[in-house]
Amino acid sequence: MLIELNHVTRLYGIVIGVNDITLDLPEGAHGLLGPNGAGKTTLLSLITGQLRPTIGDVRVLGQSPRANPELFRRIGYLPGTEGMYADVSALEWVTYLTRIQGYSASEATRLAKQALERVRLTEHMHRKISAFSRGMRQRTRLAQAIAHEPDFLILDEPFSGLDPIARHTMTTLLQDWIERKRSLLISSHVLHEIESLTRSFLLISGGRLLASGSTDEIGSLLSNMPSEVRLKVQSPRQLAAELLQGGLAETISIEGERDLRLTTASAGRLSEFLGQAISEGRYLITEMRSTEDSLQDVFNSLMKLHRGLA
Amino acid sequence: MNTLSRIPAVFAFEWRRALTIPRMGWMLALAALPPLLLFLIRTAARSEPPPDVAAVLVYVLSPCVACMMSVFLWSTPAVSSELEGRSWTYLSVRPHGTLAVLLGKYLVGVSWALPVGLLSAIIGSLVITQNDLPRLIATQCALATLSCVAYGAVFLLIGVIAPARAMVLGVIYAIVFEVAAAFIPAAVNLLTIQHRLRCLLVRWMGMDMSIAEESPVLLSYFGDESASWHVFLLLVMTAGYLIVAALLLRYREFTAAAETAT
Repeated sequence: MLIELNHVTRLYGIVIGVNDITLDLPEGAHGLLGPNGAGKTTLLSLITGQLRPTIGDVRVLGQSPRANPELFRRIGYLPGTEGMYADVSALEWVTYLTRIQGYSASEATRLAKQALERVRLTEHMHRKISAFSRGMRQRTRLAQAIAHEPDFLILDEPFSGLDPIARHTMTTLLQDWIERKRSLLISSHVLHEIESLTRSFLLISGGRLLASGSTDEIGSLLSNMPSEVRLKVQSPRQLAAELLQGGLAETISIEGERDLRLTTASAGRLSEFLGQAISEGRYLITEMRSTEDSLQDVFNSLMKLHRGLA
Repeated sequence: MNTLSRIPAVFAFEWRRALTIPRMGWMLALAALPPLLLFLIRTAARSEPPPDVAAVLVYVLSPCVACMMSVFLWSTPAVSSELEGRSWTYLSVRPHGTLAVLLGKYLVGVSWALPVGLLSAIIGSLVITQNDLPRLIATQCALATLSCVAYGAVFLLIGVIAPARAMVLGVIYAIVFEVAAAFIPAAVNLLTIQHRLRCLLVRWMGMDMSIAEESPVLLSYFGDESASWHVFLLLVMTAGYLIVAALLLRYREFTAAAETAT
């Protein structure tokens, strides 16, 4: 198991950072999603052993992460804050951290160069970090996390502050990492950033784990929640009346001559009804689309569920 | 590889980073201060001071003031500079990373302060007197070395105990303990580094302490133990401070976000 959290709570005085999270996460790539202040960094600090849980137990790769040199050899971490020494070159900095990882000077230099090459910084590696752009600094930070070839890479908001080109580069680098069958946990408050990397997500808010699993699994949690459907149909008024009479729609709006927009708490029954109606030739439906295809919609719905708004 | 093998990496890296002209300028200024003051004292007195007075003057300005200030500037912010710079996180997720940085920075601090202490002790001795110079220089250099080693450990510990207020607490410690308490003839002065260094000065310079032997109060200022005992105690205190600092580092939580330990 990659991560095991057993009723983990972390308090900062009277402020709750993480609230009673229980979770078993298998090896692979996972996204940690939540709005700013959701507790993502606290959770990552618990996973990397920088913080102790106030209550509960944390295990990473089967071991306690707190002051555990053996585990630290197997993980790479990119923190959410920069914290780089501006007065040294990228090569010096990555080599230094790789040496602290436990490698000899020559081996650390070799690994640092290799990592900087992987993040496409070879030609700039002798330049001082202070002269780097935000994207180059972020790639340098990624290099220090992967230089010692960890089994498990943990990234806290790696896309933060990057321009579109730098985001694309970072995404490509992380896709390469995943293709090499290494584990990854990546946090973000912007869903589309990590949708292209993994389909396994943890959604947290207010220090609580709202849901975990694939997009589909999380979607199934929402099956009883009203979901929005758009239809293009030849006689929308007649269909709207039938849906309301059958209790298949909560709200309906007719937009233009052919567009029908509705919310339903019975998505299964609705699709069954529409399928039958089409096959019987009662309605000519040319398009049907759920607007909750994107992960952002799933996340918004979960937030509503969590807040008791659904 | 264990912690010890990582310390040279930290030492070499931090030394390279420290080699800047402003920093070297500050260290040279600190080394020049005691000889300058001693020169002014000698010029004002218009004559060479008695040997014991000369030894005390060099001791106060070099092993005490110059060495203490140098290691204070290096060792006290060892942890806080990493926390404030948000670089602590990178070290805390590496095997023995924070301990290696702590000890590596301690050695960097001592190795930067030592030339300051030795230079100021040698030049200061040459400036103040020509009397029994080899003995004076050897004594002051030995005291400067012990001062850097011991004070470096104390200030490092203070930096680990309260990283957010390390510099303020370091100054308070220096004034309250190493200046005030060290001169109180009670058990508390035995715990200060100042007391041990002062006792060593008296022993190594062969100062006449016959008056102290008749007065328990004076005896508590200079002690009646052997020089080797004082050296041993200083080294034990140094090791003790470093061990406590290492243990605190191991069991406390230091988060860059809070810049404090909990």
